[in-house]
Amino acid sequence: MNSKKTLPADAWERGQAIALACAAFEQDVEEEWVAQEPVSCYNCRYRRFTAAAILCMKSRFPENPK
Amino acid sequence: MKFYLCIDDTDNLDSIGTGTIAEQIREKLVARGYGPCSLVTRHQLYIHEDIPYTSHNSSMCFCGEAPDSAFADVIEIASGHLDAVAAEGSDPGLCVLEFDAERDYQELIAFGKNAKKKILTKADAISCAQNNRLHLSEHGGTGQGIIGALAGVGLRIFGSDGEVKAGMKNIEINQHYRVSELKELPELTRVLEFRTKEPLDDAVEVEVCGRTKTVLYRHEYVLFVVRSAAGIYQTINKSEIRRMGEYFYEQ
Repeated sequence: MNSKKTLPADAWERGQAIALACAAFEQDVEEEWVAQEPVSCYNCRYRRFTAAAILCMKSRFPENPK
Repeated sequence: MKFYLCIDDTDNLDSIGTGTIAEQIREKLVARGYGPCSLVTRHQLYIHEDIPYTSHNSSMCFCGEAPDSAFADVIEIASGHLDAVAAEGSDPGLCVLEFDAERDYQELIAFGKNAKKKILTKADAISCAQNNRLHLSEHGGTGQGIIGALAGVGLRIFGSDGEVKAGMKNIEINQHYRVSELKELPELTRVLEFRTKEPLDDAVEVEVCGRTKTVLYRHEYVLFVVRSAAGIYQTINKSEIRRMGEYFYEQ
């Protein structure tokens, strides 16, 4: 992700690559998956959808330093 | 009686999801002897930075049957469960409607449709609820969840919105299935070609190309497929299904 911790709405390959290398990745419940790849920022429970992007919210949960 | 029940804003980023809580409420109602109840549908609402959703702003709805005298009990069971399991920092809302086939629900349906494209307020929700004689309750936090809960009921009554929770979860990707096989799934009643909306015959084969979802379309659980140039019927990826939902699966 960029310095603002965002990805555009459909950067599927980047979302997968980032999530595969991210120690904090945690899969959201299946009904909230959007990406085809199970391990993807788009399927992470710490992402938040905005109008045209997703935002990583993991920094709000420093108590779970996975 | 037929009832509709919807919840919203019950979770935080570290808790169980709203869909799971909806299923737990459904199980409690069935354990009380009520039902049958439908599958849970997920209704995508407006994504805007001024709306305090957790991660995706959706509400979860189902409908069911219960004795005419059970309306208050349905509300009590759902409320009690929400109060027990809703996550810290969440703003849960509950909507329960006793369906009246003679009643005009156009205002409620319009509320649901508007909740997909503009910011609505609690005052808007309370006003709409009063006009439609239904139960709407806050269960902690700001109670902002009443907006999505009301919208979810409106959209479910409308009948062409929402993904079926857990739908197509156990179907294998890159496999071919006959329509008759797919119809054995509880989350699927029809397979429609998306552009023409024509139903596929039971003997037709469908190629499952990726993760997909069945959706509520014209009050049925529908799997949309598209016919390729080679004449093969292929499923539509979930991200595209979600985008199509913004237009109620019409083109």
